[in-house]
Amino acid sequence: MRWSITRLSGTGHETSATLRPQSAAGAPQSGPAAAAAAAPAAGPATGSFTEAVRRNLILTRLEDMVAWGRKYSLWPFNFGLSCCYVEMATAFTSKYDIARFGAEVLRATPRESDLIVISGTVFIKMAPVVKWLYEQMLEPRWVISMGSCANSGGMYDIYSVVQGVDTFLPVDVYVPGCPPRPDALLEGLILLQQAVGSERRPLSWVVGPQGVERAPKPSLRDAKHAQRAQQTQLRSPDTV
Amino acid sequence: MSALAEPAVLEFAPPIVRAIAQRFGEHAASWQPTRDGIPTVWTDVAHLQPLLRYARQDAPASYRMLWDLTAIDERTRVHREHQPPSEFTVVYHLMSFEHNEDLRIKVALRGSSPSLPSISCLWPNANWYEREVWDLFGIRFDGHPDLRRILLPPTWQGHPLRKDAPARATEHEPYSLDEQHERAELEAMRFHPEQWGMKRHSGETEFLFLNLGPNHPSVHGVFRIVLQLKDEEIIDAVPDIGFHHRGAEKMGERQSWHTYIPYTDRIDYLGGVMNNFPYVLAVERLAGIQVPERAQVIRIMLAELFRIASHLVFYGTMSQDLGQLSPVFYMFTDRERVFEIMEAICGFRMHPAWFRIGGVAADLPQGWDRMVREFLEYLPPRLDEYDRMVMKNRLFKARTVGIGEYDVETALDWGVTGPGLRACGLPWDYRKQRPYGGYEQFEFDVPTGTRGDCYDRVAVRIEEMRQSLRIVRQCLQNMPSGPYKARHPNTTPPIKDHTMHDIETLITHFLNVSWGPVIPPGEACVSVEATKGINGYYLISDGDTMSYRTRIRTPSFPHLQMIPAISRGHLLADLIAIVGSIDFVMADVDR
Repeated sequence: MRWSITRLSGTGHETSATLRPQSAAGAPQSGPAAAAAAAPAAGPATGSFTEAVRRNLILTRLEDMVAWGRKYSLWPFNFGLSCCYVEMATAFTSKYDIARFGAEVLRATPRESDLIVISGTVFIKMAPVVKWLYEQMLEPRWVISMGSCANSGGMYDIYSVVQGVDTFLPVDVYVPGCPPRPDALLEGLILLQQAVGSERRPLSWVVGPQGVERAPKPSLRDAKHAQRAQQTQLRSPDTV
Repeated sequence: MSALAEPAVLEFAPPIVRAIAQRFGEHAASWQPTRDGIPTVWTDVAHLQPLLRYARQDAPASYRMLWDLTAIDERTRVHREHQPPSEFTVVYHLMSFEHNEDLRIKVALRGSSPSLPSISCLWPNANWYEREVWDLFGIRFDGHPDLRRILLPPTWQGHPLRKDAPARATEHEPYSLDEQHERAELEAMRFHPEQWGMKRHSGETEFLFLNLGPNHPSVHGVFRIVLQLKDEEIIDAVPDIGFHHRGAEKMGERQSWHTYIPYTDRIDYLGGVMNNFPYVLAVERLAGIQVPERAQVIRIMLAELFRIASHLVFYGTMSQDLGQLSPVFYMFTDRERVFEIMEAICGFRMHPAWFRIGGVAADLPQGWDRMVREFLEYLPPRLDEYDRMVMKNRLFKARTVGIGEYDVETALDWGVTGPGLRACGLPWDYRKQRPYGGYEQFEFDVPTGTRGDCYDRVAVRIEEMRQSLRIVRQCLQNMPSGPYKARHPNTTPPIKDHTMHDIETLITHFLNVSWGPVIPPGEACVSVEATKGINGYYLISDGDTMSYRTRIRTPSFPHLQMIPAISRGHLLADLIAIVGSIDFVMADVDR
């Protein structure tokens, strides 16, 4: 595939440029994603200067580049509350291998982590500690709520349990299940990565009117409903 | 005294009850027959301490262990046959290992804020149990060294296991956490050595107080322990629990007998169906249900597979705590093999809730035997490899041999059961000593240690995995045919054949499905050898569709309590080995 550098105009991002494949295969891709695909360029070598520039330079917006980098190196905080944490830990081991998504660098301190997975029941006695740990994380930071208890209290509508971690933390992705399978957590992580790649979160503390532009949070239940509804023949549980 | 409260005739009572009545007088000791057949004696506050001292020291069976201590709010209970009047009852469950007997002593308390003498002078592990009863029931223990809340936050108001306390979170104010509230809660949690009778200085030395947890990678969950250190040496330690209190006992008072089963899975969340086992056995004891053979063997097979899965997690995390990074990856991969079998049979990984009152949820699927056979061939060579990788590793030995040692006497004092007890050399396994659910038909050995140190506790669990494989192999080879559920009207879900004959059978079926079965009034405590020790469910039915009181005696609660006793004088790094070797999960401590 051959690549050319095209200057965009009239999009509101005058200074930015993006790579666009010359062949008509597929829609134009935006900066970093295309850059990753372009790395092993396999076109015919012409040896001209323009060609060399085309093959070796990637132009993108800094914001996109940062978002792309963040997306694939989300460092999770080594934090767990209950049963869900065991499934979260399973996601780190060989069969599920969260390292494939660049999120295996478990940090023991919140100050070095980007992501906190609220894996388990949020207890009233524990909630102030959770909040305190979250506050020690540096921005930008993300929260995955893993499992029914963290999502809503789940099956524990009981005096000692907070009915959902979103009563005091901003949650980015909710993963349902009791506990969710490790693959479900990985799906949640991918959703988060998509959001991180498209969301405009400040690099650091900012003063001024620019707030965080939230990525949309579509419900996968709705998105998958049509496909699931088509499935009328289910495998019998009588055989393995 | 009403006719209901008339004491049962003593001449039919078990020998220990008659001996107590003879010694302390019939006015001070009356007998209550229970469904589980455990000798149960009612006494009053004045005779409590002498009676317990007698049971511990002078009784022929010598009830050496305080196995459980809990309370019952009797104020709304209807069926109280053979029981003296009482608003609150404190229950002491003692165990004799020599004579393999239990004894239950109940104290009747009157009034809404009762008190009774503490027995922490007799058994050191009474300390936490009494704090728990104070926390959840508001019953005071006079003479307790440190009666403060243990499971709920120090700022909590009320006592949730009282019958008049609201159960649901949605009955309370919606939870919110602003900055001020957060500060206040954290401040209330701050550790003040003086409050625990600790000195900040001793002569020239200034002690360092180190807070470990409630979120620390090597405390295995939300568990906090504050250490008093002299350099790296542990002078004293204060464990702080309750960060994982999910109100499982209160939950039993509003779920039907059937719908409570999933809550049991989440007690020892590494044990899966192992938690269902004592619960359904206790309900079956109350209802008088006989479980068919095939269901018994299915239960045992699944429970033993979960024992292996739980021990694998223990093995991996223990070696990881001591600096080995690879084993945990191998062992979690092996655990996945167990889960593949679980998913094929139950359709769930960690919390299958697969046992039912009267049997199991469904029959085994075709092809289960192949999966189990493959696993039986797969695991033993892996365990041999891990022996070379972990148990023979010189560094691992250096970190565990001679660390956190305790002897049988100490273990009994603190209420230690399970592998932690067997590692000191006492071959006491519930499955052997009091076979339940069909274990009497299986051949297996009870592995023991000699030194009772961290290394032995690991070694015992590894050998237990091999013994569990032996049991699973016997299940595979001798799986009986026949029904997987008992034909009894109280089984859940109710038998479908009994419906659709006429309106009566239809209504009965409908009620048994919607409200659940009505279990006859009575009390039963049934225990099993769970993954971490003896796990027991003490259920009280008041003839309703749900339990009147559900007491869950978990092994990890007393195990954590003994951490200070076995870690004093060790180095800080040894504490990590000790904590790892205990093998607990916080849900099994705080419930």
